[in-house]
Amino acid sequence: MLKVVVGEGSCGLAAGAGKVHAKLDELFGASNPTGAVVTITSCIGMCFLEPIVDLYDGTELVRRLVHVTEADAEKIYAAVNANDLSLVDDITITPDDASFLEKQTRIALRNCGIINPMSIDEYIARGGYDALKKILTTGMSQDDVIEEIDKSGLKGRGGAGFSTAFKWRAAKKSEGEEKYLICNADEGDPGAFMDRAVIEGDPHNLIEGMLIGAYAIGAKEAIVYVRAEYPLAIVRLENAIKEATARGYLGDNILGSNFSCKMRIKAGAGAFVCGEETALIESLEGKRGMPRLKPPFPAQAGFWFKPSNINNVETYANVAWIIANGGDAFAAMGTEESKGTKVFALTGKIKRGGLVEIPMGKTLREVIYDIGGGIRGDKEFKAVQLGGPSGGCIPASLLDTVIDYKALGATGAIMGSGGMVVMDETTCMVGMARFFLDFTAKESCGKCVHCRIGTKRMLEILGRIVEGKGEEGDIEKLEELCMAVKDGALCGLGQTAPNPVLTTIRYFRDEMEAHITDKRCPAGECRDLITYSIDPDKCIGCSACARKCPADAISGEIKSPFVIDPDKCVKCGNCKTVCRQDAIIIK
Amino acid sequence: MSIKYTIDGVEVIAEDGETILSSATRAGVEIPTLCFAENTAIYGACGVCVVEVEGVPKLLRSCSAKPMEGYVVHTDTPRVIRARKTAFELLLSDHTGDCRGPCKLNCPAGTDCQKYVNEIKDGKYFEAVSTIYEAFPLPASIGRVCPHPCEDACRRQLVEEPISIAFLKAFAADKVLASGNKYKIETGADTGKRVAIIGGGPAGLTAAFKLREYGHAVTIFDQQPKMGGMLRYGIPQYRLPKEVLDEEIAIIEEAGVLMKNNVKLGKDIQFDEITKTYDAVLLAIGAWTSVPMRVPGEDLDGVIGGINFLGKLGLGETPEIGKRVAVCGGGNTAMDACRTAVRLGAEEVYVIYRRTRNEMPAADIEIEEAEEEGVIFKFLTNPIEITKDGDALNMKLQIMELGEPDASGRRSPVPVEGKTEDIKLDNVIMAIGQVANCEGVNGVELTKKGTIVADEMTFRTNIENVFAAGDVTNKGAGIAIAAIGEAAKAAFCINNYLEGAEVRYKAPYYVQDEKTEADFEDREKQDRAEMPGLSPAERKNNFKPIYFGFSEETARKEASRCLECGCHDYYDCRLIKYANWFDVEPSKFPGEVHKRDFIEIADVIEHNPNKCVLCGLCYRTCEEVAKKTFIGLYNRGFNTTINPMFSKIEAAAYCATCGKCVDACPTGAMRKKF
Repeated sequence: MLKVVVGEGSCGLAAGAGKVHAKLDELFGASNPTGAVVTITSCIGMCFLEPIVDLYDGTELVRRLVHVTEADAEKIYAAVNANDLSLVDDITITPDDASFLEKQTRIALRNCGIINPMSIDEYIARGGYDALKKILTTGMSQDDVIEEIDKSGLKGRGGAGFSTAFKWRAAKKSEGEEKYLICNADEGDPGAFMDRAVIEGDPHNLIEGMLIGAYAIGAKEAIVYVRAEYPLAIVRLENAIKEATARGYLGDNILGSNFSCKMRIKAGAGAFVCGEETALIESLEGKRGMPRLKPPFPAQAGFWFKPSNINNVETYANVAWIIANGGDAFAAMGTEESKGTKVFALTGKIKRGGLVEIPMGKTLREVIYDIGGGIRGDKEFKAVQLGGPSGGCIPASLLDTVIDYKALGATGAIMGSGGMVVMDETTCMVGMARFFLDFTAKESCGKCVHCRIGTKRMLEILGRIVEGKGEEGDIEKLEELCMAVKDGALCGLGQTAPNPVLTTIRYFRDEMEAHITDKRCPAGECRDLITYSIDPDKCIGCSACARKCPADAISGEIKSPFVIDPDKCVKCGNCKTVCRQDAIIIK
Repeated sequence: MSIKYTIDGVEVIAEDGETILSSATRAGVEIPTLCFAENTAIYGACGVCVVEVEGVPKLLRSCSAKPMEGYVVHTDTPRVIRARKTAFELLLSDHTGDCRGPCKLNCPAGTDCQKYVNEIKDGKYFEAVSTIYEAFPLPASIGRVCPHPCEDACRRQLVEEPISIAFLKAFAADKVLASGNKYKIETGADTGKRVAIIGGGPAGLTAAFKLREYGHAVTIFDQQPKMGGMLRYGIPQYRLPKEVLDEEIAIIEEAGVLMKNNVKLGKDIQFDEITKTYDAVLLAIGAWTSVPMRVPGEDLDGVIGGINFLGKLGLGETPEIGKRVAVCGGGNTAMDACRTAVRLGAEEVYVIYRRTRNEMPAADIEIEEAEEEGVIFKFLTNPIEITKDGDALNMKLQIMELGEPDASGRRSPVPVEGKTEDIKLDNVIMAIGQVANCEGVNGVELTKKGTIVADEMTFRTNIENVFAAGDVTNKGAGIAIAAIGEAAKAAFCINNYLEGAEVRYKAPYYVQDEKTEADFEDREKQDRAEMPGLSPAERKNNFKPIYFGFSEETARKEASRCLECGCHDYYDCRLIKYANWFDVEPSKFPGEVHKRDFIEIADVIEHNPNKCVLCGLCYRTCEEVAKKTFIGLYNRGFNTTINPMFSKIEAAAYCATCGKCVDACPTGAMRKKF
């Protein structure tokens, strides 16, 4: 009896997993002689292969089918019924693609893409809630738990990389009966989806980690602050909270102990700054999400000014594993500076985009080339952006930098929450810096002067540079503003907002200068600085470009080279997209 | 447990839980802040209260940071100053408004016109006069004669016509002079320092007044029989009755200024002696010599200098002139001379001016009134020769035309080849300008023009304790209010010099806005008040004052036309105070500037987002002090604004109109509407 498991994370559903699932239900619902079960799991991380359908025999994965269409469902149905898996050979994952997972070490994501996230039993079957049981039944004290976390060397995975044990200890030490444990699931960096994958794929792992944290600091209430843009995560987490409560893992006297903790979800309303812990607390309290001045830190005065601990989803997702396997086992992975693993959302101009979890200490090259398969279209690698709007770009010369808080920090980028955007030669680094700064400037809460006006002024300078209106001295002015904003901004959003700009200046100053002095965009991306033309030697006169041109800027006679009128051209890039001869030249 | 630490070398004891800001403030060390107030929770938005602590890598926001035992805190390191400056410069890059009205900014003496105009509107005449005295003495005199640069700048022109600021000044000053409760100058505590002022004109009198306010002993030496300088000896009685001037000079004298007349420098008293006897000397001797026209015949009998001519009247003499008089020149002195000639019985009075009426520097009203009195203007003519013609004079005029604009933008007159005209005259009055005569001022460096070289920021001459101001310095003669403005600044510098402080005067920085007619489209048009006075027939044969002055009703109505351009909160605005304190470069970070409409917070409370620094004090005070939640923030990033939290309908019920938000605002962004 085979189990047909459809990958239904948000990514799978977006790629059409829902339709595949419906079709499978219809087929097996009508007649199911082998008694196969159709069920779901969440994202396995191979977004580039979605929709994915796994065939299990018991707990053993026998086939992984990729890019599955509705039509393929019939094939799967036939293969299952005939017990002849060769029928689905053509949609089976290639060994090369399968290596995407083999090179990873999964702790936070250990159940993602394997279990049904709507089933507590499947979580328990894989050792779920054992860690909690261990604590509550073997008499581990609060300090013992914190000690174990300390031993593991776990640092905050949300971006700042602050010691988790230190925070827990501080919150535990703070006086007061009423304490809160909060999970920051307001994942807002463009291109980052690690937390979403954890909640959608393994919500009980998050709950268990949070319960252990709540026990350690002495909190009786735990709150998950999830962004409202993650509806599926909210549904699965709500279900998990219900299940866990029903089984006695949540609520009063958990597992018969005198530890009680309840949990609830708060959906955030879509402000990036609410990912900053004090702004998140303000938002939780029903106020406008704006950061508070620290000190006092949340461990002293957080939610309702009571001692509170806030960690990111991925941080909590490591906790149960650490308690179950011991802090030393976790610390055995990684580098001197950074222990354990880290989840990255690999996106951009990469062949195999998706979610990867790797031990700290691997190099960026290993992640991008060995796991990610290198650059799409075999173009030249240019840079990788880490940490989103708070991070920076790392150039090709530093590809052998190891993934480690300190080593990444030294490049001017940051570890960040896990966004890893790969860029090739066609990406303009000035435009990239502007993109991220535009994001932070718009997402600034407006409270402090430096962030509110400083980022705006920086953005204006970058804006004129990409428009070819840059002036001598603009780079210096940007640098001055960057340092002022870093120094003067109230919270992490503002303090890190200059990073994308600073790293661009640091590694791609030439490119910026080319925009300013030569009014040229070397990557050919800045519209105001490029012209489109057609290579007459390559053009076969098919007229595809002319037909797609919205500005009627392309003309010519069939079977002879076409030409672009630069005065009419609006530089939309349609011609480049449709040309099969690669005849469009951008300069 | 209290904590001991030092800030800028001052030892401070902080109580348990007290922040650096609070404890330092208590100890007398001023730390700027825009968003902190004792009665609201710490907010930390403005970032200007940062301080540097030895051994702490980051700058600390002193509003929240608590000192630790032994902290060594600095508020004046380059890093702290740079950080604060940047915060102010960023704020000012998106802060629009007018700290002060254009009237005040255009007044060379910096008189707060908007303030006294509004005091007049409210019937507070004494207060209005006090406001004027903050800048200079002699309001009744100057109000009558000033060419009022304030009115030139007045924004009411964008509606219809400027406010009649100068006459309002005279009105208030007359009112108070007549009231029996005259303005009394408050003199400073005696400093023991002695200052000599040479020249008792508007500059000298103003400096004397200011220096008495500072508490220095002042003696004015003047060569004329009475004080007043050009106000007395240059301006005719019909424009400025000398009784008014006398009364105002008496007020200065009552403040303890020693006034010594009929003392001529170099003759009755030696300059070296004065510089030795007095701690400081101010040269304010004016420009009393008429500029010669450099034409043949100008030394003939019957050709007289304008200043000599007018000066005789000031002395109570009646100069003898004939029936046909020509006045050369186009300035106010020329107008005074020609109109005086009319009043002395001349039948044909000409004004000879080489350009056209458009280029005349004299005030329009003077030209108009001269025309009304029968003065004949001969534009585009230039005297080239004066000859004796029997008992009379013959003046040959070159006919001119306007050529290309010169450096000043004025089209310069050029002779029309071969075209001349002769006129028969009894007298020629030269009024093409005045120059200084520095005879007796030994050792003081002079310009090529013969004026005294005085530093424009310190008013110092080349002699250690000698300062100079007014017409006698640098560029030479100008209008009275300009000399007054210089004298007031010179007095400030002299005071600094006597106190051993830095002497330099530095103009404060103000935020200034630009407005157009479109900004005032919704204003109702109201005519500018007309000054009642004598008809041409009634005035042309006598020296009676030609204006009657405004009635109280007219004055108050006129004053009510003021658009109140200057910020209502100027004196309490912390942003402008700090901007000047930190000597910011306001245009350092140019970029988009918001131009947003005012927001009605409640019926009586209005918010001007263009002046808002988003310190949050208004909404936090509403919430934490007034216990309401009526004001809140709206939008994000650069577009964040203060807004009413709920709909306006609820506003009426909600807002207690307590005005605490207005009081809390550190700038002029919140105001109560009246």
